[in-house]
Amino acid sequence: MSVAAAVVHGGYGYLPSKFRQFSHKTISQIKPPPPIFISTNPNDVDSNHLKDLYSLCNHSSHRFPKLNSQGIIEPVDINKLKKALRHSYVVVSVFTRPDLGPGRVSGSGLHGDWIGKVVPVTPGNGELVGFGRAVSDTGLTAAIYDVMVIPSLRRRGIGRKIVQRILRILVNRDIYDIAALCSDQEKPFFRACGFGDDVLASTTMMYTRSASTYSEGEQMVKCAGRKLLLVPSLRINLKI
Amino acid sequence: MQTLHLLSTSIITSSSSLPTIVSFNCCHCQASSQFPFPKINLGLVKVKRQQKVSNLKAGFWESIRSGFVKNNTTQVIETPSSEKEEEEEEPLPEEFVLVEKTQPDGTVEQIIFSSGGDVDVYDLQALCDKVGWPRRPLSKLSAALKNSYIVATLHSRKFSSGEEGNGEKKLIGMARATSDHAFNATIWDVLVDPSYQGQGLGKVLIEKLIRTLLQRDIGNISLFADSKVVEFYRNLGFEPDPEGIKGMFCLRVLLYSCWRISHWLSTLIFSISDFSDIWR
Repeated sequence: MSVAAAVVHGGYGYLPSKFRQFSHKTISQIKPPPPIFISTNPNDVDSNHLKDLYSLCNHSSHRFPKLNSQGIIEPVDINKLKKALRHSYVVVSVFTRPDLGPGRVSGSGLHGDWIGKVVPVTPGNGELVGFGRAVSDTGLTAAIYDVMVIPSLRRRGIGRKIVQRILRILVNRDIYDIAALCSDQEKPFFRACGFGDDVLASTTMMYTRSASTYSEGEQMVKCAGRKLLLVPSLRINLKI
Repeated sequence: MQTLHLLSTSIITSSSSLPTIVSFNCCHCQASSQFPFPKINLGLVKVKRQQKVSNLKAGFWESIRSGFVKNNTTQVIETPSSEKEEEEEEPLPEEFVLVEKTQPDGTVEQIIFSSGGDVDVYDLQALCDKVGWPRRPLSKLSAALKNSYIVATLHSRKFSSGEEGNGEKKLIGMARATSDHAFNATIWDVLVDPSYQGQGLGKVLIEKLIRTLLQRDIGNISLFADSKVVEFYRNLGFEPDPEGIKGMFCLRVLLYSCWRISHWLSTLIFSISDFSDIWR
């Protein structure tokens, strides 16, 4: 009898209401995106909010980040962040209603504050929940970095919208060679957005030489996340 | 034969956002071969001025919008401090003689390294042809050079002894890097003239780029290497796919660009056939 009731109510109807929220999500149950405002104006992004967003998403500006004992990445340097924003060719930021933003329980307050639900989201009254940027030489190539969405609003199509907006802007400016450096966890996301391995089969390489692997007298090292990168010494008057 | 030694004059002549057309300007030639740097700084200053105007415009519309939206507590204030920071950022252009060789017949050949970005796009196109790279539109090439963070070049200058400064300058190598000036940089387009390869010149170009980038605290230096040169970069300290990091390219836009090209070709063919109908 309870089984028949379950079929009628569509799955988890027989469970008490407090258990329904944590039901296992199937593909058909992925929620549609919340009301969001996507902005491509770099002036809409407040650096402090962006710094908080980096911490919330546990995203690092370094490719080899330093993790503390709980696995949390050190906060991003705000001055460097401002500089990076100034020199990024495309900056996309996603805002949503404050009640859906970080730190709020979704679905609460259905009866209060209905004006907040009716007024459309703008960068002025919304909270920053997603971000993405691209760096380009404005002629031939572009590279996408730092695409992130807060954990509570993931898997709702926001990240894909960010990438599609960046791509649309780049294509409108006649740039077709668009790269994105991604770790193993980010690969499925970019693959779903239409990215793939290079058609010319090039290998991605990064500078990782540190003082321990290569030594030649006096060396200067630079700290980049958890790596100490060796600065190559200046060679003048080459002997040919 | 004096080579036309142009700056990317697009810095001076047009705004940074439009595709640029490199124009010949012969009267600049003589002056530029002696004093390239003041011209470059002028160009950079001009670009900054345009940026300042666009910042002001954004502030104006923001202030109008804030007047209409209720309960707006955010103040729209023009931040003059951000513009001051921009002044100290630009990498200082360097130029020095890397190696000097005296031939048995008395001519001296100097190889000069420069990071001033002083590249003639036509010279670069000729160098790309020599190396066997496919041709790319000149306007895009000059825009890319203008907006790269560092453009390092190697020129060879030959002159007979006693005639310093009058020799012809030839572009023999180039490497450029794009960056967001803070965290990430990608090295593109590294090439050395085939007749000068095998002497360690490519190594110098890359090492200088890395040195400049690291001195500015830019820690993520990446590049996309052809299979033939992976070993070359490995010897310079680059690691392929470190910790699983891979570069992925957008395939959909490549298809779109192919569509655009074929669309353009088909309209061209139709217009030609229309034109030929008139003459029949």
